[in-house]
Parts: sequence; C-alpha cells; structure tokens
Amino acid sequence: MRSSRGLKAVGRNVLRKDGVEKVSGAARYIDDLSFPNLLHARTIRSTIPSGHVVDIQYHGDTTGFTIVDHRDVPGRNIVALIDDDQPCLAERTIRHFAEPIVLLAHENRERLNAVDVQIAYREATPNFDPAASKTSFKTIAIEKGSLDEGFAAADVVVEGEYRAGHQEQLYIEPNGAIAVPAGGGITLYGSMQCPYYVHRALKVLLGLPDHKVRVIQTETGGGFGGKEEYPSMIAGHAALLALKAGRPVKLVYDRVEDMVATTKRHPAVIHHRTGVTRDGRLTAIDIDALFDGGAYATLSAVVLSRGLIHASGPYRCDHVRIRGRAVMTNTPPNGAFRGFGAPQTQLAAEIHMDRIAGQLGLDPVRVREINALRPGDTTATGQRLGDCSALQVLRAAVERSAFKRRRRALAGTNRGIGLALFFHGSGFTGGGEVALASKASLALTGRGARIFVASTEIGQGTRTMHAQIVADTLGVPYDCVEVNAADTGEVPNSGPTVASRTCMVVGRILQRCAEEMRERLGTLTPGEYLRTHGPLVITKQYEKSSAIAWDDHSYRGDAYGSYGWACDVVEVEVDPDTWQVKPTAFTTVHEIGKAIHPMLASGQIEGGSAQGIGYALFEEVVMRDGRMANCQLTNYIVPTTLDTPAIDVVMLENPYKHGPFGAKGVGEMPIDGPAPAIINALRHMGIDLREIPATPEKIMAASAERTGSGITKSRSARRYTKPSSKTLHALREKP
Amino acid sequence: MKTFTNVNARDLRQAVARSADARQSGQAASFAGGGSDLLALMKERIVRPDVIVSLKPIKGLDQLTPGGGGITIGGLITLDALSRDARIHRQYAVLAEAAASVATPQIRNVGTLAGNLCQRPWCWYYRNGFPCLKAGGSQCFSVSGENQFHAIFGGGPSYIVHPSDTAPALVALDATFRIVGPSGEREVPAADFFVLPRQNAAAENVLANDELLASVHVPTAAGGMRSMYEKVLDREAWTHAVVSAAVVLRMDGQTCRDARVVLGGVAPIPWRLPEVERLLTGQRITEEVAARAGELAVAGARPLAKNGYKVPLTNALVRRTVLELARRA
Repeated sequence: MRSSRGLKAVGRNVLRKDGVEKVSGAARYIDDLSFPNLLHARTIRSTIPSGHVVDIQYHGDTTGFTIVDHRDVPGRNIVALIDDDQPCLAERTIRHFAEPIVLLAHENRERLNAVDVQIAYREATPNFDPAASKTSFKTIAIEKGSLDEGFAAADVVVEGEYRAGHQEQLYIEPNGAIAVPAGGGITLYGSMQCPYYVHRALKVLLGLPDHKVRVIQTETGGGFGGKEEYPSMIAGHAALLALKAGRPVKLVYDRVEDMVATTKRHPAVIHHRTGVTRDGRLTAIDIDALFDGGAYATLSAVVLSRGLIHASGPYRCDHVRIRGRAVMTNTPPNGAFRGFGAPQTQLAAEIHMDRIAGQLGLDPVRVREINALRPGDTTATGQRLGDCSALQVLRAAVERSAFKRRRRALAGTNRGIGLALFFHGSGFTGGGEVALASKASLALTGRGARIFVASTEIGQGTRTMHAQIVADTLGVPYDCVEVNAADTGEVPNSGPTVASRTCMVVGRILQRCAEEMRERLGTLTPGEYLRTHGPLVITKQYEKSSAIAWDDHSYRGDAYGSYGWACDVVEVEVDPDTWQVKPTAFTTVHEIGKAIHPMLASGQIEGGSAQGIGYALFEEVVMRDGRMANCQLTNYIVPTTLDTPAIDVVMLENPYKHGPFGAKGVGEMPIDGPAPAIINALRHMGIDLREIPATPEKIMAASAERTGSGITKSRSARRYTKPSSKTLHALREKP
Repeated sequence: MKTFTNVNARDLRQAVARSADARQSGQAASFAGGGSDLLALMKERIVRPDVIVSLKPIKGLDQLTPGGGGITIGGLITLDALSRDARIHRQYAVLAEAAASVATPQIRNVGTLAGNLCQRPWCWYYRNGFPCLKAGGSQCFSVSGENQFHAIFGGGPSYIVHPSDTAPALVALDATFRIVGPSGEREVPAADFFVLPRQNAAAENVLANDELLASVHVPTAAGGMRSMYEKVLDREAWTHAVVSAAVVLRMDGQTCRDARVVLGGVAPIPWRLPEVERLLTGQRITEEVAARAGELAVAGARPLAKNGYKVPLTNALVRRTVLELARRA
C-alpha cells in the first residue's frame, strides 16, 4: 500500500469534476432533455391494495394515444432482479396500492391527463401486518457457539423489542426515464444508480440481445438506494411505450407519484434477548428480526442479510443466534436505502446496549468498552478481524464530546446525551463481489487518462474520487484525468453504485488499471506513448483477496472484505410543553480507512447523519389501507438545516490493504448511528422509547408512562441506580 | 398543468371585472398575487383556471399607509417585507412574528399577505386530490381517516384547520379587511372574514366569486399593548402550525386591562378564545392565572381519533405564551 505522503490529488479537496456544471445550471437532468417527436407518458396504477383486475374502461378521447398493458410485453413481464416475482405491468393480480397496470403516451400532456381510466376490481382481503404474513421472501439464521452455554454463563438476561418505521429516500430529483427506439432496440436515458441493472431488466422485458439495449445515466439528483432497483421499472415502462409508438417517450414522476409508488426503507421489528455477566460481559445474544418487504421481493433478501450480519453490533460474543425473515405484505415493495438493513438492526442493538448498561448500573461507555470487538476477535458470522477500530472510535468520540462530564452535568435537566457505537461492511455481502466480477477500464489520452466505469455520480463524488485515485497512481495531474459518462454502450460493467463499494471496490480495480498503465508507459509521457505505440486501454476485473472466504449455505465466514467503524454522540433538548426533541450537539468519529477527498467524505458523513436525525425524529410514513397518506413534502417531514445541529466530524484513517490508498466505504455507515444515539439521549432523561421515529406524541406517552406527569417532575426517576447483587437475578424484564 | 391565459390587471376594478368576464363566458378564473399557493394547487390539478388575473402590476397595493386611526396594509405586500417593517415590529409584534414564521425565505419573498390569508387548506386529503368537501365533494375524509393534524375546535362537517399564520394575528389585532368585488367595496372585521364549514363547507372565508381581499386595516395600538405569536411546528421551518397562539395584552403595570387570544392550527378559522380573554382581563398575570388560561383554552376542545395530543399542546402553548408576554418589560 502506498503512503499518502507526496500525493497530489488523494487526500486533498480537489475541485469536483461535476461541480462547475451543477453550480452553473449547465448540468442536464432527465427532465431537461427532449427529443424530436417526444411523447409524454402516464402510469395508471391500482387503487386497491389487493385483488384482481376485472375490467378496464377508457373515458375520454384516446385517439392518437399509445396504450400499453401487459399484453404488449415482448419478453418476460418481470422486473428482473433477484426473485423475478414482480411484474413490470400487473396482469390480473394486484398485490399493492399504486401497482402499475396500464401505460399511456401522448405528445400533449393536457390530453394525456384528461383521459380517465376506470379499472374495476374484485377486491381481496389485504394483509398489512408482517407478523401475520404467510409469505416469506427470505429466512436467514446465523449461528455461532451455543446459546444454551451462553445463557448458562449469564447473571442477567435482558430482553427487548425495538421498532423502526418506513423511511423515504427523498432524493431531490424524482425517478424519470426517456426511451428512444433505435434500430429495433432501445436507448434508455435515465436518473439511476445502476445502468447495468437497467440494461439487464430491459433485455429480459423486451426480449432483446445485449447490443440492442443501451442505457445512459443522465445527471442524477440523488439516489440513496431509491434508484438502485426502481429505475428498472420506470425504464421498462418508457421502453414498452417507445417500442409500440416508434417514438421517444419521456416518463418522469412528480413527487406524489414518486413517494406513493416507489420503494422505501423496510420497517422492522427486532427482538433481543441477551445474557450478560454482572460485570458487563455479553455471554449470549439471541436476536429475531422481522422485516416488512412489501408486496414483492425486490432486494429484501439481501437487505435482510446485511441487516442480520450487523444485528449484534460491533461486539464480541461467543454464543450468538440471529434469525430473521423478510415477509410479504400488501404495501408497495420496500427496497434499497442507504444502510440497507443495518440502520434498523443497529438501532435495536444500540438501544438494547444502553438498557443492558442501565440494568447493570454500568455507564454506557464502560459496557461498550468491555464488549467492543478487538483485532483478532470474531464476528457473529465467525469472521476473524484483522483490523478493527471499534474501541478507537468509541474513545475518540467520548473524549471529544466530553461525554462523561456532559452526562453528569445534564442529569436531572430537560437535556440528555446519548451515544451509539456501530460498524458497516463495505462492498457486497459474502460472495457478492465475486459473483459481480466487476470490470473497469482506463484509456490513455494525450494528457493523461480517461476512466470508463459504470459507477454513477449521484452527488456523492464518484467521478472526482475515481479521478483522484487514477491521477496519483498514474502520476499525472488530477485535471488530466477525464471520466466517461456511465453509458453501457461505452463502459464495462463495474457493478451497481451501491453498498459503499464504489471507492473501495471499483476504485481499487481502477487503481490496478492505472498501475499497469504506469508500468506500460515507463518513462514515456502519455502523448509520447500514443505517438509511439498507438491507443492503450487497460481493463481489469475484481480480484478477491485470497483471505476472504464465505459460505452462503451456513452463513459463516468473511461477510465483508472490510468494515468501517464509527461512534456518534448526540445531545438533545426536550421541550417540556411540546415534547419536541432538538438535537443540540452532534459529534461523530468515523474510521474509514482513508479519506480520498476529505471534504466529500465529510459531506457524506454530515449528510448521512442529518438523514439519520430525520429517521430518528421526523420521518414518519403514514400508511393507510396500504397507501402512503402523507406523500407530499409538506406532510412527510424531513429535517431542514435548522433542525440539524452543527455536526462535528472526525475522520480516522486505519488503511485497508485491499482498498485504493487504504480506503474503505463511507456512504452508508453514517446513517446507522444517529437514531440509536438520539434514543439513548432520551433514555438518559428517563424516557424509555424503543421505537422510531420518536415523534412528540410518542415521547409524551412514554414520558407519562414513566413519571406520571412530565419531564420537569421526573428528576428523581432519571438516574440509573446500581442494583445490588441480590436483585440482579430478578432483573429479567418483560419483552 | 393546464394551459391558461394570463391577464395583467392595472387596478382592482379591472381585476375583478376581468375575473367576472371570464366567469360569465364559462371560463374558470383565479386571482394571483405571489402565486405560491395557486401554483401548488395547479400543479396538483386541484385548481384548473383558464384565466389567471395577475394582481402584481397593481401599483401601491404592496404599501403600508398610516391613517384612519391605524395603518392600512396593502394585500400585495410580501410576507418578508411585512415581517421586516419597523412600524409593524414596534406596534404589532404579533403580526411581524407571524409573517416571519411562514414557510421559508423563498416563499416569504413572493408570498403576499392577502395570499396568506386566503390560502386553501393543507389537509392531506384535499391536497391529494380527494373529492372532499373543500374540493366540492360531499364528505370530509379526515373524520374516519388520518386526522392527526385536523381541528379540535369548530369542526364539522369539514375538519380542516386554517393554515394562515397572519390570520390569528390580525384577528387578535381587531383588524378590518377591505374586500373589492364587481359590485363595489365592503369592509368586514377580520373575525367575520373567516367562516366555519357549517356556514360554508367549500370555502374558508366570505369572498364571493370575483371578489378579492384588497387590504387590511389595523387600528393604532393602545398604550401598554404588547403582543406575540408562538407557533409549534413539526420542524424548525417550512411547515404549518400544529398549534399557534396570537396573544395581544394591554398591560397596566402587572395588570392586564384587555386581552386577545386567538389560536391557529386547531380550527377551520382563527379560533378566538373570549372566555380566556375575560379571565385575563383585570388580572395580574401570575403562573397560576396563566395555567388557568391554558386549561380554559381547551375546555371546549373536541378532538378526533388521532389529534388528542393537540389538547395538552394547546393548553401548554396558551399558558406559556400568556406568561411570557406578561413578563416582558
């Protein structure tokens, strides 16, 4: 691994590759694009959560319209992903509200909206309760050691159930696509994270070979996972219309449609039963998690997988059982969202850890110090950790935030302080990266090099960070590295832009390309090389480190190549009249291997933390009869800058030897910690909450339960009292 | 959005005439001041005007004019200008604070006072295209639906809450509204401008077709008068009041000589609390008196299934606001 000394681009806040265009308004997003003879499109969706389509009637003038239903699908009527269970257009069965049934296209938007499509249904009884679901998309069990042995060694057993609701990704730019028919095939422009997912989905849907489908990512206004799988759906719709009409078709959702119809974070209910010795050592961890997948499988299996692998938190324990199910309900499918299952499970783990500390009369720092994973320890899946910075981030965050002093100072007031220790695996889970076999290419140019990857810039800084890695590896100035558009006609399949893998995994493949290119150049400049030897393109494929081993059947082994480690400390203030919670101080320490671009990395951490504050306190998807009732920005409350305290970001660097310049993933981890840290800060005030979002109503109820009246009168109840050894055995709580 | 014709009005008379003309020829017409609410309604296809009569070119309608025993505020004044005006700050703090609490700086830069007073409800059902009473339909979906943000006072048959922040402030200031229509002008007290659903379920105020709210007159502040606006919202900015309180007290030393307490966010109109006002009048405002005011404020509350939390919240807000205002020097 290279030292960062002497680097000209890596580790520096170079100008963003996409910065000038975005700031000046020159960047063109999907709705900025137009084509000759363009048709606009509209999606007719189900208005019931469960049942069958009986009849479809069109009222109004439909002359000149292109109308598409499932019978127009030339290939397989599915959104190709994992389970292939979701139709691109519903045929007869309806499994959720807002399921697409019919597509309309017309050049005049007014006429398009004037047509009234009446669908008659035979309704079936919907199920909205995951616990009552009879359909599991995925069941996973992780086992380590023996629970019997672990609980036998325990002095105390602590149980609890924790709940997290939906969360909407809320990228600024809604989903949108334009399909252009070309030579019997389709060129698809769209706002997306994963061009090759869309490419595959279109091939399957349209029954077309590779070369007849071309997918070009347009400038994308955010994704957060919400543009991982859904663009395959909207692209399919635009493409079906375009093929039938023989004209370009634009389909762009407005905010309401985007919120009502597209994926959200999985709601989850997570039960913990933990054995612990009286001095605070975890002896047994038994976790049961239930994820609400919504109506179709989408990515639920892998969301569940990542969620469960992170469910026991960054802690050592010899006897662990983690079981989980992702089940079907009659709500719109849930899917990828930054964190991918880990925010739900680590919320539970970290609230539970504070409750364990409270029961033992230990402070929250001490119980984590005792149990935090150390180098050489094994995780729940049996992965032996080489590097591990759990203790390091914990101690740094505690010191920087003056946690212990503040905790004493705030006791008995309407303010509280809480922390959360967490980790996040970088890259695809288990054997995922081997299966993806991602590729990246680097082409020599007269000035330097041009990057060809399918990794997308969605605001997080892909182009910039990749160019930095190539520039310093190749030994050319940053400005001499260009980044090609993510166009499947031009770039190899680098895998999806998800899972905190774009820097660590794709960046490393690019680095290997650049290393070979530098060797080939020898003493020649790029210009001299091209004049002497002609064009040079280097393509490399992902190579698994020989140390990584994973068994998908037993769920044992090295779940991730590397983990990031982090600790959040949050101070909150609760208004004793309105029960509103205001985060007043936020310290976060993230160990991410290496910050290729410190400002962008820090921006990821601040943004993820703000999104985590929203998850904790504000963002509540109100589902009524399987339909999101608050599907507008006025109703679905996300935090503004005024709701977000200054976030003190500290980045620690413990380089990962298989990451470019030591870098690990950073995009997702920041959203794992804020919610449990905030709930633990409320617990510090005596408010026993086990559910997010922690809205004022819930806090009022929890506070009334605890004290009978209100915060201002609950001072004596707030301190943790250290139990005597006699009472320890009696401290078995109701779940 | 439907294609529409824009008509720039030179003056108020022309504005109402053009609106009436359009309507008589079978076209739907809408007035636009700042247009921020109208645009949102048009985007959601809740309102589909053929003709938009733009009031922006009308000169002088964005001014503050002293006279007539008070100050006249033109309906086109932006919320930002209103919130920053030194006279308004000095004499009518409740109005300045209410205007400053609306939405975001961007919206306050274009949104007008008249538009804020006349904006349509932000009920989830109405804004989502449900055929509810406010959209000319025959039922209020909130009754058996998602009513966490709906009325605890004055509801039925519709349970919307009036979304304006400046409305409770102006009712508390005993303002008078000047309405201009095709058949001339009329003036109504602020409190009579707003109507309950049981009077007219489809509208929130007395404006007839082709009438518009031209200006607002606020009487000179009496000696010893102080006022404030407190607003509880689900985040620090950019959303409507869950509960708000506009309180005006005329103090004589520690004793309250006259009081106005008007709530926002809890009723289909700005909700005045005359019993609380009577309780406060002639009293030294102690913690105990303020607590009694809070209790009395919610005595008539009729919460729905999901908005019961508004009752203690309203109680606390009235207590806190009355007490804080009385303690101000």
